Amino acid sequence: MANGQITLDELRNMARQAGLKLSDDELQRLLPGINRSRKQVAELRAIVSLETEPAISFKRPRAQQK
Amino acid sequence: MKSEELCYLTIAEAAAGLRRKDFSPVELTAALLKRIESVDGRLHCFITLTGDQALRQAQQAEQELGSRKDCGLLHGIPIALKDLYMTENIRTTCHSAVLENWVPDHDATVVMKLREAGTILLGKLAMHEFAFGGPSVDAPFPAARNPWNTDHIPGGSSSGSGAALAAGLCYGALGSDTGGSIRTPSSHCGVVGIKPTYGRVSRYGVVPLSWSLDHAGPMARGVEDCAILLQAIAGYDVKDPASANADVPDFSSGLRREINGMRIGVPRARWFDENLGVDRQTEALFDQALKTLEKLGATISEIDGKPFSMARKANQTILVCEAYAYHERRFQEAPEKFGSSVRRRMLEGGFLSAADYINAQRARTALNEEIGENFSQVDVFATPSAPRPPEAFATMDPNEQNLRPSFTNPFNLTGLPAISVPCGFTRENLPVGLQIVARWFDEATAFRVAYAYEQATEWHKQRPEL
Repeated sequence: MANGQITLDELRNMARQAGLKLSDDELQRLLPGINRSRKQVAELRAIVSLETEPAISFKRPRAQQK
Repeated sequence: MKSEELCYLTIAEAAAGLRRKDFSPVELTAALLKRIESVDGRLHCFITLTGDQALRQAQQAEQELGSRKDCGLLHGIPIALKDLYMTENIRTTCHSAVLENWVPDHDATVVMKLREAGTILLGKLAMHEFAFGGPSVDAPFPAARNPWNTDHIPGGSSSGSGAALAAGLCYGALGSDTGGSIRTPSSHCGVVGIKPTYGRVSRYGVVPLSWSLDHAGPMARGVEDCAILLQAIAGYDVKDPASANADVPDFSSGLRREINGMRIGVPRARWFDENLGVDRQTEALFDQALKTLEKLGATISEIDGKPFSMARKANQTILVCEAYAYHERRFQEAPEKFGSSVRRRMLEGGFLSAADYINAQRARTALNEEIGENFSQVDVFATPSAPRPPEAFATMDPNEQNLRPSFTNPFNLTGLPAISVPCGFTRENLPVGLQIVARWFDEATAFRVAYAYEQATEWHKQRPEL
């Protein structure tokens, strides 16, 4: 996974682990988009500091809220 | 009044005409059904038409208005719904083979609210499959076409909603917006659509695409009509975990206030020129719109576009991860049921890690703060609604959208309210939209600026030749 980019072989393994039955043709079509997504994630990682929390929070079930 | 004139009334005009008894809800409904029969074979706006039920609802509205039981401005007004709003005993397909014959046993909250407001449901509208990807060529229903030129896309994912309004097939419609799916078809079809603040409108009973980015909202042929529709559907809903328990103001009361002194920020630098940049005709029409706003008394200033540009990356990462999580079992068991466009895009989410998703949500925190800080200097942001006019089906490149700036994504990520209003036509007579973005829960200001601009121009009065 050089520079976060993956190869077709790596994608095939990941698909198997995810329980996805996809042909090599389909995996080949998916690969550019997946590598673009992974590049985007790397760029996003660069703009968050260690103190930045995710924009998600746990909510108690409504029945327990006053 | 001629049948076509009836079909192109605004909601405000139709409501006034109903009370003057110029026409009845049955006449309005019959005129629209006749027009749908005449033109929808070329446009494919409707997946399911509920004509008989609509006529029964119209007769009931006629009796109620006659006996002075008046539910308000929407009473007796025919509308239509994007086909991801659950409707009791009416098929809800999401334009997908996966749900081709699914008939929900209850209504979405907003569908119930619109029914209580006295609207008449004409039917369920075409969309991009599961509100994602592009126009579906391998879905069980044909893709909606742009009434301004049927060789062109109407934009999506609320494609049928935009096309039906532009074609005069309904007075109002609901769309949904996860990355621009209300504002893009509004822009491409020359109509008005607002993505309200995240949490303003209940999403209970709306088939999700991405829980933390999904917004429900109205589309219509004018700003005032959008305000009327939003009034009916806004408000807290205990059934939607993201619903905001916030006061709902009167969205129409401030519409006619002047915008003298309004500070408008344009995040042009480091955003508009991203990759392929903005189409030249689109940017020229946008700049012309800014001049009109200046003439109305607003002041225009440039702000840094970089955080807006980064927002698209976070939005897309979160979207594909949440969408894949929702559909994971379907992809494992029968991926062939999804159309090729939505399958290619959604599966990306299956190959990102938990850390990738969390880091995108952390970037969201940082970008929300950075974008929100601009409101200390400006009252609203303005951008084109879409980076280019609607593409032709024949030459559409699904990868091109990633090579142009997305003007809509950042406001799903931030949850800020954003409205698209027509701001002109290209030389090829294709519509272009202006986007106005206001502070959280300040839809009233977005409406006010959009209305001032709309009333100072004639774009919203144009109709396609069909």
